Amino acid sequence: MAQPYYRAHVLTCAGSGCTASGSTSVMLSLETEIRRRGLHEEVKLVQTGCRGFCAMGPVMMIYPEGIFYCLVQPEDVPAIVEETLLKGRPVQKLLYREPDSAKRLPFYKDIPFYGRQMRIALRNCGFINPEDIDEYIARGGYEALAKALFEMSPDQIIDTVKKSGLRGRGGAGFPTGLKWELCRKAPGDIKYIICNADEGDPGAFMDRSILEGDPHTVVEGMTIAARAIGAQEGYIYCRAEYPLAIERLKKAIAQARDYGLLGDRILGSDFSFDLRIKEGAGAFVCGEETALIASIEGRRGEPRPRPPFPAASGLWGKPTNINNVETWANVPPIILHGADWFASIGTEKSKGTKVFALTGKVNNTGLVEVPMGITLGDIIFDIGGGIPDGKKFKAVQTGGPLGGCLPVDMLNTPVDYDSLTSAGATMGSGGMIVVDEDTCMVEFAKFFLTFAHAESCGQCTPCRIGGKRMLEVLTRITEGKGTMDDLEKIDVLARTMADSSLCALGQLTPSPTMSSLRYFRDEFIAHIVDKKCPAGSCRELVHSRCSNACPAGQDVPRYVGLIAEGKFEDAYRVITEVNPLPAVCGRVCDHPCERKCRRGQIDDPVSIRALKRFAADQMRGLKPEPPARRMDKKVAVIGSGPAGLAAARSLAQEGYQVTIFEALPVLGGMLAVGIPEYRLPKSILHEEIENNILSLGVEVRTGMALGRDFELADLKAEGFEAVFVAVGAHDTAKLGVPGESASGVLPGVQFLRDVNLGRAPDIAGKRVGIIGGGNVAMDAARVSMRLGASEVHVIYRRTREDMPAEDEEIHDAQEEGVQFHLLQAPKEILVSDGRVWGIRCVRMVLSEFDHTGRRRPVEIKDSDFVVDVDVVIPAVGQASDVKALRLDGLAVSRRGTIEVDPRSMATSIPGVFAGGDAVSGPATVIEAIAAGNRAAKAIDRYLQGLQPLWVPPAGPTWTRPDAPIKPPYEIVEGEMRRPVMPELALEERMNGFPEVVLGYTPEMAMAEARRCLRCDLEAK
Amino acid sequence: MTNRVNVTIDGRQVQVEAGSTILQAAREAGIRIPTLCYHPDLAVRAVCRICTVEVKGARTLQTACSFPVTEGLEVRTNTPRIREARRVNLELLLSNHPFECPTCARNQDCELRSLADEYNVRRVRFEGERKQYTIDDSSPSIVRDPNKCILCRRCVDVCSSLQAVGAIGPINRGFDTVIGPAYDEKLAEIACAMCGQCINRCPVGALYEKDSISEVWAALADPKKHVVVQTAPAVRVALGEEFDMPAGSIVTGKMAAALRRLGFDAVFDTNFSADLTIMEEGYELIERINKGGVLPQLTSCSPGWIKFIEHFYPDLLPNLSTCKSPQQMLGAVAKTYYAEQSGIDPASIVSVSIMPCTAKKFEAKRPEMNSSGFQDVDYVLTTREFARMIREAGIDFASLPEEPFDSPLGAGTGAAVIFGATGGVMEAALRTAYEVLTNRELKNVEFEAVRGMEGIREATVDVDGLPVKVAVAHGLANAQALMDKVRARQVDYHFIEIMACPGGCLGGGGQPIPTSPEIRQKRAMAIYREDRNLPWRKSHENPDVQRLYKEFLGHPLSERSHHLLHTHYTPRGR
Repeated sequence: MAQPYYRAHVLTCAGSGCTASGSTSVMLSLETEIRRRGLHEEVKLVQTGCRGFCAMGPVMMIYPEGIFYCLVQPEDVPAIVEETLLKGRPVQKLLYREPDSAKRLPFYKDIPFYGRQMRIALRNCGFINPEDIDEYIARGGYEALAKALFEMSPDQIIDTVKKSGLRGRGGAGFPTGLKWELCRKAPGDIKYIICNADEGDPGAFMDRSILEGDPHTVVEGMTIAARAIGAQEGYIYCRAEYPLAIERLKKAIAQARDYGLLGDRILGSDFSFDLRIKEGAGAFVCGEETALIASIEGRRGEPRPRPPFPAASGLWGKPTNINNVETWANVPPIILHGADWFASIGTEKSKGTKVFALTGKVNNTGLVEVPMGITLGDIIFDIGGGIPDGKKFKAVQTGGPLGGCLPVDMLNTPVDYDSLTSAGATMGSGGMIVVDEDTCMVEFAKFFLTFAHAESCGQCTPCRIGGKRMLEVLTRITEGKGTMDDLEKIDVLARTMADSSLCALGQLTPSPTMSSLRYFRDEFIAHIVDKKCPAGSCRELVHSRCSNACPAGQDVPRYVGLIAEGKFEDAYRVITEVNPLPAVCGRVCDHPCERKCRRGQIDDPVSIRALKRFAADQMRGLKPEPPARRMDKKVAVIGSGPAGLAAARSLAQEGYQVTIFEALPVLGGMLAVGIPEYRLPKSILHEEIENNILSLGVEVRTGMALGRDFELADLKAEGFEAVFVAVGAHDTAKLGVPGESASGVLPGVQFLRDVNLGRAPDIAGKRVGIIGGGNVAMDAARVSMRLGASEVHVIYRRTREDMPAEDEEIHDAQEEGVQFHLLQAPKEILVSDGRVWGIRCVRMVLSEFDHTGRRRPVEIKDSDFVVDVDVVIPAVGQASDVKALRLDGLAVSRRGTIEVDPRSMATSIPGVFAGGDAVSGPATVIEAIAAGNRAAKAIDRYLQGLQPLWVPPAGPTWTRPDAPIKPPYEIVEGEMRRPVMPELALEERMNGFPEVVLGYTPEMAMAEARRCLRCDLEAK
Repeated sequence: MTNRVNVTIDGRQVQVEAGSTILQAAREAGIRIPTLCYHPDLAVRAVCRICTVEVKGARTLQTACSFPVTEGLEVRTNTPRIREARRVNLELLLSNHPFECPTCARNQDCELRSLADEYNVRRVRFEGERKQYTIDDSSPSIVRDPNKCILCRRCVDVCSSLQAVGAIGPINRGFDTVIGPAYDEKLAEIACAMCGQCINRCPVGALYEKDSISEVWAALADPKKHVVVQTAPAVRVALGEEFDMPAGSIVTGKMAAALRRLGFDAVFDTNFSADLTIMEEGYELIERINKGGVLPQLTSCSPGWIKFIEHFYPDLLPNLSTCKSPQQMLGAVAKTYYAEQSGIDPASIVSVSIMPCTAKKFEAKRPEMNSSGFQDVDYVLTTREFARMIREAGIDFASLPEEPFDSPLGAGTGAAVIFGATGGVMEAALRTAYEVLTNRELKNVEFEAVRGMEGIREATVDVDGLPVKVAVAHGLANAQALMDKVRARQVDYHFIEIMACPGGCLGGGGQPIPTSPEIRQKRAMAIYREDRNLPWRKSHENPDVQRLYKEFLGHPLSERSHHLLHTHYTPRGR
């Protein structure tokens, strides 16, 4: 019968994912529309299996053009027919939009998600109608079987599979050809072949997709193996939760029998083989081959000890070969194209491709098939499109609930069996779950352990009870009830489980926990010792995600709630409980709280910083209560930056006599000399220092630098019993290129300091080149613009996304006319006659990932070029000159910072404490304040003669209410964006240094505050 | 010639049979590897993970009980890694085990407890949730306490493999796994043979007999009660084990002495009624053969077997001998003949039996067992319970004198004592049948063909030209195999002896723990030794039995016999 000729084919995905997103109704309306338009003899509609890009489902492809549509809904059908099928034009809004560039990509082949994939196991998925054997045959199906039957001996088949290097795709990675050979050589007349389709990893669905999208490849692969091994009968053990897969398999088997491809004397040869489907109840442990066999035999699905292995004694005690779906799908192409072809793909010990189910916090979730050896980072960032919402990548879990979590510094790990295993994860069946900064690794480990422990068959002691006990330990830790002893217990339990469990389920149950503990031990310790969940996710420990994210622990929901009620003074007092500088922080804080705000998942995060500023601006002039007691003990604070000011205030409030020693003529440290006036007006800063710190009786001595003007011994002689060193990081890191010492080179920090102290260099009309991508670079650029520079060029070696500067700063700088040169790095500052005239740059390209999760820029050879500038401002980092302090016996880190106990801030010298940038390296205002507060507490204990200087909290410092509490005002629950912050018009800004951001009105502030969801009031 | 391979265990070269396990190899080499779920009667499960050892080349520890040796295998059985795994696994088991050792039935012979000591577990580091199940004491024979269960699966395997009953199995999975009847039914409500083989295999106190000690103490303390006791043949060859005597010790005389010291008013012997059974059952068989009755005739002395056939082969109930078991016969005679003879009001007689069996507790409670107007047997104590009473009474068992049984129900023949071993009833029946039918003296009374531990044995005995075909099976799985053939009419035996327990009563569910093929063999040897030591070796020679017929019953199968000594059966669902 002649097939009608169609001018177009519309392939709609009918995989489970797209079906769930509504592809069935899309297909129905498409069919109706095509008929209505009388196109049904021109356009063929095909239902295919999964195309993998499930995040974008329902997906559709239109041939011959190869147009790719995503998120197709029934209402889009008329446009598709009208525009594409009749007029040949793509429907713009259905095209894939690249997240970065927002460009619409019409063609399948151009979509990055598919670009780096290589499809062998999934070769037919999404291209053929899985219910039509002819379509499979048309794409070369069953040719391999014919070849295996008529051109190859069983030994040749096994030899080919052995040489191809194919390893089991189910998880353990046992060489497939060797497995076949063992079964072939096992004595016995009756032998069985089994397809393990008991795919049980949560999130993994490659086997289902193959069964649904290309069932014949499994039938063909199994039949070839049966011929090689000498089996007469095969079973496909498929979980009953896969009804569509079972239905398609049944159809495929029936069609294959009809065509003489299964059953007696296949294709007229002397070889007979038939297949049966056995539905399993979906127990995870039935993925273990001996448990699977028990289940087929009608027994309880429990593994038994091996040896004997199934190859010797399997189903009904007969030699049996088991492979999983994906392994079988690789067999026909290997037989057809040869071992060498397959072995040319992948790495030395892991050949071919592997399908991964990419899920979690990644832009492009779905099914991807990649050649082995591709790195984790390539999959996550190139194919997966990176992490959504600008969040930071934290870990990737491979291998499902029995795999492991790998951190950012493992992103360059090649994806192959051995590399993943040695990294502490496994290939498993190909689950790949990406998590970002908001995931708590203890909870994540607990999630997998909960699953694995629930799936334990309950036979053997270590798995049955060990898993339970380990889960109990993890639960304790997430509730803040763990002890350091518990980590030891996890270790012991994990060792015993891994070493003495009966099957792989028990042996690998501890793996996710152990890899989390290996790579994220600090996070476990934070839960145990500090009773804190750094990711802000453990409910028993996190009273609200914002305050949890705040280094100083500001009770954000409380003061935001008070603002919503109009109680501005109360709000201000809440803020100042821990923060001496609310007006400052309200302007320049990097607000880590807002990144974690849950409101952000609905529309925008609450403008916490702006609300703080609002409260502070409302309460200008308000002074704190004088200290309740007065003590004789004297404390010296060296440095008047935020760390020093915070410590000084706290100690003064405790009644200590505090004296601040400041090297510069002004107070405020970097706040005064690092941040430009237009972001933080000096008047605001000085007023806040005066009112909130000095008013408590704190003395000040400016122009006094430790090591230059006085020494530790002088302080002791004067009666100071404790010293807090917070001298900041006021030096600029070196670029390390020739020409750096020329006179037109102004280090960034120094440049800003000079401007702030009224000693601005004359750069009017000059071309300024700024090197770096941090906040200092942005400040220097915007200041340069205000000083009348004719051109300002920011040269940065990475991309804009990788810039450490705040987004708003970059945005404002761009708006103000600063020019950005990305992926460029300086090689030399060009100087003649002692004057700078340009920067020789080189173009960069991103390569592998570094420990920050960003791709490392490397030079493109011979891509040098020159940027013409008159002034160069390097701003690539800050440093502090700790040696100049002349503190004998002070422990200093390799980075040149002061080493302290991070909880008490105590240095190696008794009585000397330190904090701020001199300890942490360049950090934020709020971190410095937090350090000052911590140091003040420890100094207080030190001066009272108490040890240890830091006492761990006994449990969570706060308990979540049993029942939800309603605030005394209405929370805005419907969608409402945050208000646009009033800013000074562009033309008014550049004239001098007026403050750009203007702040909220009371009405705006109260409305904004009501957007806070009050997570703190939610019940347990 | 067997294929032997060389293996190295802890540096020692051993030559063992290929295919044996590391555990067997180590035992041959005199190296002890601890085990918990392993049991010599059962298939290897390897679930407790206590017998783990290091096998060179293996990534993880391997279980010695399951790992087959091959040429050149190198094994280590005692390294820090192994000791840690064993100790942690013991701690894990203990972390989910009630610490009720002082009050536990298995106080003295708990395998978990001794392993914890052996591995120096002085503290359990892993605390957490413990299981909480209700104790199932619905059965008159067996109590299940799932809280103490360590999920070794021995009971499951013995019930399904050795006994073909499958009354219990694992329910749920993971930490929530519990062993019990399907759908959480009560033991009393399901097809359980009550054989108690599970109790004998349980390493801990999760399974034990329903205790009747306090009721017996109360009866003994009641001056208005006349308490008579009978002891089953198999008790005398096992009781000694409870008092640290080697397996196979015969303690008949001490046993009788102990019973008297406990205060029993009359100490009788079930051997007496075993002989009586042979008389009744033998004549029943002769009648069936002569009158074309239902054949093969099946023995009916094993109550576990009776319960089993009622559940699983109700269609074969007509084949069962109508004879009550010796226990019930003695009870019936005690409350009639003995009461009459000694002038005691049968209402004041309390009839106690000491049995190697838990199913006997069920049998004694069967409602039809009261043809005298009183329940034939009031209380059944297992060998273990009896031993506990002896201990509780402060009796130094080893130093007791040998004392005889009381008359008139105390005499027994060698034919009776061999009732305690598989094949014994058949052998006893043949001894009597031969002489009764031929009227000639049987020279060689020992029928070797029906002896031994083979699961199913058969023999053909020429009785005056009539080839009598007999078969013997012990353990209910063997019974099942045989009954399937009977049901399918594939065999034409005249008489079949079935004992529910492996080895017969000497391996009964009420016998001292532990049990093993070796222990059972020693008890069997003792039984046959006792047989040889007795003056009479054929049931019909028993003078007390002869007197009973003369004075009371008349003749075998008389109307009175039928009334008192025979019974009927109840088909039961699965």
